[in-house]
Amino acid sequence: MTREELLADIKKRFSDDIMEFFDRSPRRVYIEIKPSSIVKIATYIFKDLQARFNIASGVDSRTHMEILYHFTLEPLNLLISLRVKLDRKNPRIESIAPVFRAANWIEREMSELLGIDFIGHPNLKRLLLADEWPQGVYPLRADYEEWDKNAIRDRGV
Amino acid sequence: MAKSVVPIGPFHPLQEEPEFFTLTVDGETVVDIDVNIGYNHRGIEKLSERKSFDQSTFVIERICGICSTSHPFAYTRAVEDIIQVKPPERAEYIRTIIAEGERIHSHLLWLGLAGHFLGYNTVYMWVWKLREEILDVMEILSGNRNSYAMFKPGGVRRDIKSEDIPGVIKKIDSIVPTLNRLKKAVLDDPVLHARLKGIGILTYEDAIDYSALGPTARASGVAKDVRKDDPYGAYDKVDWDMIVTKTGDVFEKVVVRVLETYESIKIMKHCLLNLPEGDIDLNIKDIPPGEGIGTAEAPRGETFHYVRSDGTNRPARHKVRAPTFMNLPTCKATVVGETVSDATIILASIDPCYCCTERTAVRDTRGKRLYAAKELIRLSQQKTAQIKRKMGLK
Amino acid sequence: MKLPKVRELTEALKALITGPYTSKFPKKPHIAHPNFRGQPVFNPDKCVGCLACEYVCPAEAIGHEDIKDPKNPRRVMIHYTDTCIFCGCCEAACIADNEGIKLSNEWDLAFFDRSQAQETIEKELLLCEICGEPVACKDHLKWIAERLGELSYSSPTLYLSRLKELGIIDDNIIAASRDYSRSDRVKILCARHRRETTLSTK
Repeated sequence: MTREELLADIKKRFSDDIMEFFDRSPRRVYIEIKPSSIVKIATYIFKDLQARFNIASGVDSRTHMEILYHFTLEPLNLLISLRVKLDRKNPRIESIAPVFRAANWIEREMSELLGIDFIGHPNLKRLLLADEWPQGVYPLRADYEEWDKNAIRDRGV
Repeated sequence: MAKSVVPIGPFHPLQEEPEFFTLTVDGETVVDIDVNIGYNHRGIEKLSERKSFDQSTFVIERICGICSTSHPFAYTRAVEDIIQVKPPERAEYIRTIIAEGERIHSHLLWLGLAGHFLGYNTVYMWVWKLREEILDVMEILSGNRNSYAMFKPGGVRRDIKSEDIPGVIKKIDSIVPTLNRLKKAVLDDPVLHARLKGIGILTYEDAIDYSALGPTARASGVAKDVRKDDPYGAYDKVDWDMIVTKTGDVFEKVVVRVLETYESIKIMKHCLLNLPEGDIDLNIKDIPPGEGIGTAEAPRGETFHYVRSDGTNRPARHKVRAPTFMNLPTCKATVVGETVSDATIILASIDPCYCCTERTAVRDTRGKRLYAAKELIRLSQQKTAQIKRKMGLK
Repeated sequence: MKLPKVRELTEALKALITGPYTSKFPKKPHIAHPNFRGQPVFNPDKCVGCLACEYVCPAEAIGHEDIKDPKNPRRVMIHYTDTCIFCGCCEAACIADNEGIKLSNEWDLAFFDRSQAQETIEKELLLCEICGEPVACKDHLKWIAERLGELSYSSPTLYLSRLKELGIIDDNIIAASRDYSRSDRVKILCARHRRETTLSTK
């Protein structure tokens, strides 16, 4: 399939889940979808289009929480990014780790750094932060405050 | 037979970086493996939000010592993707030269370490002696043996003087005969065949399911390489081959890396001899609000950077993904079923770079570590005891 | 397997004859390649004390201290060797033709006492004649005045400092009283007091 056929096919197939379709440049496409349909669309792109799952980035905008899932289609040199917007007070979304194992670690990292809950993840425990780090303190959030009173914050000499 | 837990790490003489593998062993066969990382977490994504776009390049370069060019390369491509510009041609050639020089030295480093893990210290010493020539070349071209400080959004920061080039070409040519001898010595050796062939096999289906990258995936038949799929720099102007093999065991991974070194030497020489004239920098002034994605091929796979800008001179969000992050979970598929003595070489065959993998930190933004070496040893001993207690073993 | 052994044996014999590959440092000193990026060094004659290098440094390894002594006002520029990453941003940003701070070839920088790991130079500073706060370094004002040419006569701070340095100023021009009136306009002032004296209608 050519690039135009592929994008038209996605638009037609998931027309009631797609909220915004931004065709930015020949190699970058950003699609905003409803959070409830992430597993359906991610499975289609991974299994039927045979794209490679690149990574997922969690972003804390001041008003809402966003996750972008990036998939690469090498034969067409195209990078599709699926954007979901979540409520900032209680961010939850279904996990795509049961579908393919590549998403396992990145969801663990997003849950401990941004506080997003992934429903259905097989093993949602800490990946990077130390065991002594307090619960409920999420470093990458915009309202994060330094909690350690004994840390040295200048040159140290 | 009772099962026992063999911890490898976090401070282990066979690894150069701290990570904690827990192997559950039944007799001599590994039954399960668990990976705990987080010892190198440094807070780089948060730190990058407090520096301007130009200053952030230096923080990004120090994510890793060995693949230190691929991270600024991907970052500058991401910032250029926000404004949709292309740097001048001379800058692209210089970027390619530095990136390939780094690939040569990284693969030679790994080859030496693989020899060391097998107990073959002669290979270790000889390969690292060969590596000194490449480090001298990088010192002539950029001023330093690692962390070259050459990248900038919009171009490169320093130029290559044309009177340096003949000396550099001579040094690169002197590597090739020794590399030929080394290649034959490694690939013909019966001991290495017996130790490396047929172990740690990563099948094609597993490589796709885990989204493995770089030489780890190319040894299993997955023909993906950012330099061919999405050509950047000067890679589409040079004639070179992508190395792909079929089986996916550790021996094939060695073969892929050794053959890639030859291709890198070819690319580097071609770019040095055909360097075009012109500007080296676009002088970008303002970055408007938007988001951009940049990728580059590190020696270990594809690096991915996502940058979001809100119109000020600092990034609003900077996401970094190193290739080892996707390659490391594959150890679950490759180590289970093998013997304990082969476990270290299989774990080392993905060429792990843990500094790249975890970037947040138990460290504040400018100063000392909050956990010193003594603390870490105590913590790791506590953790081993804790795991053993949890599993009901002694 | 005879042939591979011959290959390795020739390599081993060659290594025996030529000796070890490592150098005899520290008995024999090591001279770095001229392209090597070493320690940044201030040049007191060329540096103008503008603080551009401090602003640009990614590692925050350059600092300054203003000493507001009325008899000898000076600005001390400090470079912290233990924090420096040797990137060369300071040299690229220096406004004095990239000569005020330059990367030398020195690499042997080990020290025992971390608090001594800094290099300093001093530049003469000009203070505001009303409030005593620093205006700028003398050399920096001279740098600006040279590039503005005749336009530097628009600001008394600039032309007074230039004429003072050339030694052709008449002391009668500078009034001694502080009354925020016309006499204050012909003084070397900081930006806040320049605004207050020029815009006031007293």
